[in-house]
Amino acid sequence: MPTLVIDDQKVTVDPGTTIIQAAKKLDITIPHYCYHPRLKSVDMCRMCLVEVKDIPKLQTACSTQVRDNMVVFTNNQKVLDARRSVLEFLLINHPLDCPICDKAGECMLQDFYFQFSRHTSKFKEKKQKKHKVVNLGPKIVLDSERCILCARCVRFLKEVVGTEELGIFDRGDHSEIGIYPGRPLENNYQGNLADVCPVGALTAKDFRFACRSWFLCQENSICPGCSTGCNVLVHSSERSYDKTLRRVYRLTPRDNDEVNQSWLCDVGRYGYHFVDDPDRLTAPSLKRGEEYVKVDWDTAFREVAQRLRGIFERYSPSSLGIIPSPQLTNEDLYMVKKFFNETLCITNIDFKLPGWNQGQGDGFLLKADRNPNTMGAELLGLSGIGPQAGEIIEKTRLGEIKALYLVGSDPARYLGEEKIASALSRAQLVVFQGSNYNYACKFAHAILPGATFVEKEGTFTNAQARVQKINQALRPLGESLPDWKIILGLALTMGYYFPYKAAEDIFKDIAREVTGFSGLDYKKVGDKGIKLALSGG
Amino acid sequence: MPELVLTKNVGKKDSHTLGIYEQGGGYQALKKALLEMKPEDVIKEVDKSGLRGRGGAGFPAGKKWSFIPKEAPKPKYLTVNADEGEPGTFKDRVIMENDPHMLVEGSIITSYAIGIYQAYIYVRGEYTRSISRLEDAINEAYARGYLGKNILDTGYYLDMAVHPGAGAYICGEETALLESLEGKKGQPRMKPPFPAIVGLFQGPTVINNVETIACVPHIIKNGGEWFNNLGAPGVGGGIKLFPVSGHVKKPGVYELPVGTPLREIIYNYAGGVRGDKKVKAVIPGGSSAPVLKVEEIDVKMDFNSLAAIGSMMGSGAIIVMDEDTDLVKTLRILIKFYAHESCGKCTPCREGTGWMAKIITRIEKGQGESSDLDALLDIANGIRGRTLCPMGDAAAMPVQSFVTKFRGEFEDYIKRG
Amino acid sequence: MSKGLEFSKKTKERLQAIVAKYPEKGAALLPTLWLAQREFSAITPEVEEYVAGLLGLSLVRVHEALSFYTMYTPQPLGKYHIQLCTNISCSLLGAEELLAYLKKRLNIEAGETTPDKKFTLSTVECLGYCGTAPVMRLNETFYENLTENGIDQILRKLP
Repeated sequence: MPTLVIDDQKVTVDPGTTIIQAAKKLDITIPHYCYHPRLKSVDMCRMCLVEVKDIPKLQTACSTQVRDNMVVFTNNQKVLDARRSVLEFLLINHPLDCPICDKAGECMLQDFYFQFSRHTSKFKEKKQKKHKVVNLGPKIVLDSERCILCARCVRFLKEVVGTEELGIFDRGDHSEIGIYPGRPLENNYQGNLADVCPVGALTAKDFRFACRSWFLCQENSICPGCSTGCNVLVHSSERSYDKTLRRVYRLTPRDNDEVNQSWLCDVGRYGYHFVDDPDRLTAPSLKRGEEYVKVDWDTAFREVAQRLRGIFERYSPSSLGIIPSPQLTNEDLYMVKKFFNETLCITNIDFKLPGWNQGQGDGFLLKADRNPNTMGAELLGLSGIGPQAGEIIEKTRLGEIKALYLVGSDPARYLGEEKIASALSRAQLVVFQGSNYNYACKFAHAILPGATFVEKEGTFTNAQARVQKINQALRPLGESLPDWKIILGLALTMGYYFPYKAAEDIFKDIAREVTGFSGLDYKKVGDKGIKLALSGG
Repeated sequence: MPELVLTKNVGKKDSHTLGIYEQGGGYQALKKALLEMKPEDVIKEVDKSGLRGRGGAGFPAGKKWSFIPKEAPKPKYLTVNADEGEPGTFKDRVIMENDPHMLVEGSIITSYAIGIYQAYIYVRGEYTRSISRLEDAINEAYARGYLGKNILDTGYYLDMAVHPGAGAYICGEETALLESLEGKKGQPRMKPPFPAIVGLFQGPTVINNVETIACVPHIIKNGGEWFNNLGAPGVGGGIKLFPVSGHVKKPGVYELPVGTPLREIIYNYAGGVRGDKKVKAVIPGGSSAPVLKVEEIDVKMDFNSLAAIGSMMGSGAIIVMDEDTDLVKTLRILIKFYAHESCGKCTPCREGTGWMAKIITRIEKGQGESSDLDALLDIANGIRGRTLCPMGDAAAMPVQSFVTKFRGEFEDYIKRG
Repeated sequence: MSKGLEFSKKTKERLQAIVAKYPEKGAALLPTLWLAQREFSAITPEVEEYVAGLLGLSLVRVHEALSFYTMYTPQPLGKYHIQLCTNISCSLLGAEELLAYLKKRLNIEAGETTPDKKFTLSTVECLGYCGTAPVMRLNETFYENLTENGIDQILRKLP
């Protein structure tokens, strides 16, 4: 294995490692633009030039492989001069519109200029005029004047997505990124273009002019859009919620070699808007006549508990049905199972509504199963105890099931409104617990508002049986609560005590009791998750 | 005056046809190589000849060929660089139009020596006559059994095709040429991998200039030592074509020993300066080569002598400027050319050439400022040695040499306004 | 493939022979664009689509080439395309003066076409005729050692 010296520090790396990668091992960041760890090196931007002892010309750190005994300087005068000069070149035709640029605050041109250059420009000429506000497709806008032609976007589509939808047209300082005229981007990974763009050339329509990046807090989470469980950062701010009615501003991908590399699909990325949607359920409510009345949690719990008990007493556990959602966390689902099945002995519990996993996958990140925790629901035993969810609905329609408790599920989405109306209108009690209004709420006697994935912590288990953690980025909206807490509260009202203060406490019991999870440690799930060792694949 | 080698048929009637070429001993070298020599002997002979690449970089041809791996997972290719675009250069065209078979024969011998079965000649799109003459010559060679299957009954086979460019100077850069041959924009590739290992269609590829390949039949026929000795005494390296243009009485292509003094070429061969004016400046190796002042024209025209005085032999194209030449305008023409031809792939060349063009245009318009000359030098320094391909240097060197060597003239121009 | 645009039978045969020269179809892009430009007189969007379809290339790749190489034209030019070299060797011998003369004579700027579509005037970089400078290319014919008088004679003889 080659050992080399970078800025007086020794490092040993695998053969084939590039200088930029070796330097990273020493925590030395070599500035770059076109280099992206997940794309092939192209040597275009010339920002990463470094000096290698005994080679007269500066070398590109992104593509030069290390050799044994190599001596590299990443910060001597020769290197700094070259870096400054590249920055000056990149800036001559770049507009100074940082105040209104969405990338301000997270722009590699700003950062490196500040760090390495701060030159006074000697440029006195007219800047190149190029196209501005170019609509590349439904998601992305291009400002060619801001573009530094690193071709990351072009290469991302070609190498990762496998489409040649973007190209660089013309040549010299007239070169411009673009689509073929009249052929807007169609792929499901457009959001990544704004991420890979190191400057303000490509911006996401969803985020344009919405918030200055420095007002955003970032929290590690998992995309709830499908069973891949892409690792994400939730960017949120509650600063101006009263004016904007928006707290989550974007999801961006978070690196995970085992799951999503550095990417995120558009279906997942732009699926977060339900979090701040006006249809959020924010207070417990009870149906009084035709009206819904907002009540406090205690009142709600008391009424639901009382009515559930009534049905228990008049009929039997088989007259109750529970349909949880695979959108819920392992901890939420564990509580559903623990309380309704193991404590109340209800066996009509199932999450598999007909077609629940029948979306359109794209063969890359997006899976047909649009639920982040199907595997968790399976492993925790929320299916296969009794009838399937579709039958539970049917039994409700037939009057065999008198009380239906929906935990986050939206049966009308799979079975149609007519069917749900005919079933739910026959039930003596319908409880809807969840974050957003759906058709089933129309028939609910009690509505219990649940927190969304950004408002609670817990774990999802993805299709590869990787347990991954979501963290709380925001306070639950209104009076909503994490689903496990709602069930905990209801249980307590009914006289059953569960000693859980936090999701972590529940996870401990999951690790103790549930096959597949055994021996897991919540802390060790960490930011990258842990793959379960499942027997029989 | 030794006998002409590369240009002996220039001006002869139908010199481009197979018949005339064979009458003059054409394809004898091919027979010798294929029937009497092993491939490695051909390389050895070329090695001995001291032949260095005639396209600009001057890399020893035999050595270049020896980099090609014997065994490779992908087919090997020969690519002849006929994208003659360096301003002032028109020597390859003379060969292709007048003696295309010399290039075809040289290409077959070269391919044989390296174990190549497919050769392409990349000709710039503007050279319509060169393209048609080469296509005709290739067809004749196929018909005569010099190309195709079982050449001269040796079992060796080779296919050859002409690939037309479409207007891009950068395609003369070898990796850009490969991209263009693959049907893409002609933008240089990063190196490594070098084309000798991963080149055209990912196969090991030899890229040689037209003139270089045209020398090969002569070297095989008469021996490497013979060719080397054609160079000037003490210099060697054979003969070279020197295209001479600008303010001379008899512009044209002159075939002379490598190492012939520049002054001799201008005055003895090109007839001296028009109107018997004085020389002000000479570009000795195509537009990229640093300009020489009149005091420097005693230099010998060979790779080492020119490098020693800070210039280069490049394509060997000599551009003579007389005492009345407006150097501001001349430099503007050159910089605008490079800005126009920059492929746009890497930052310093893309941004720097355009910037320099804007400054020099402003100076020419009389709006120059005293700081502009230092700005030009600074930009040129910022480009030099830092680009993806040699074109950055090609654009920087004229600026550096013009502004440094003739600074007074540029300053006067700016002061006059 | 779009709008019934199609190569003639002869051109199709020619294309087939060209494609056969390369191990990858896409390598034939430049020669195919040449065929297309000769046959359809310009590489319009319809032609781009046709060529992309013939070679199995993305539209972006075809468009990149079209925009990169100077000799392809996206719209039809005049009947006579005059390309005057204005690079160094030609300029040392008066190319810029000849350009002014051509502009005046044709009453158009460089890059323009006369209203009767007879002439398009372009300036180009070095054409490789430096030894017989100044030079211009009129369609595919080169005129060397050019003078104002020479231009008059050439233009006068054109049908």
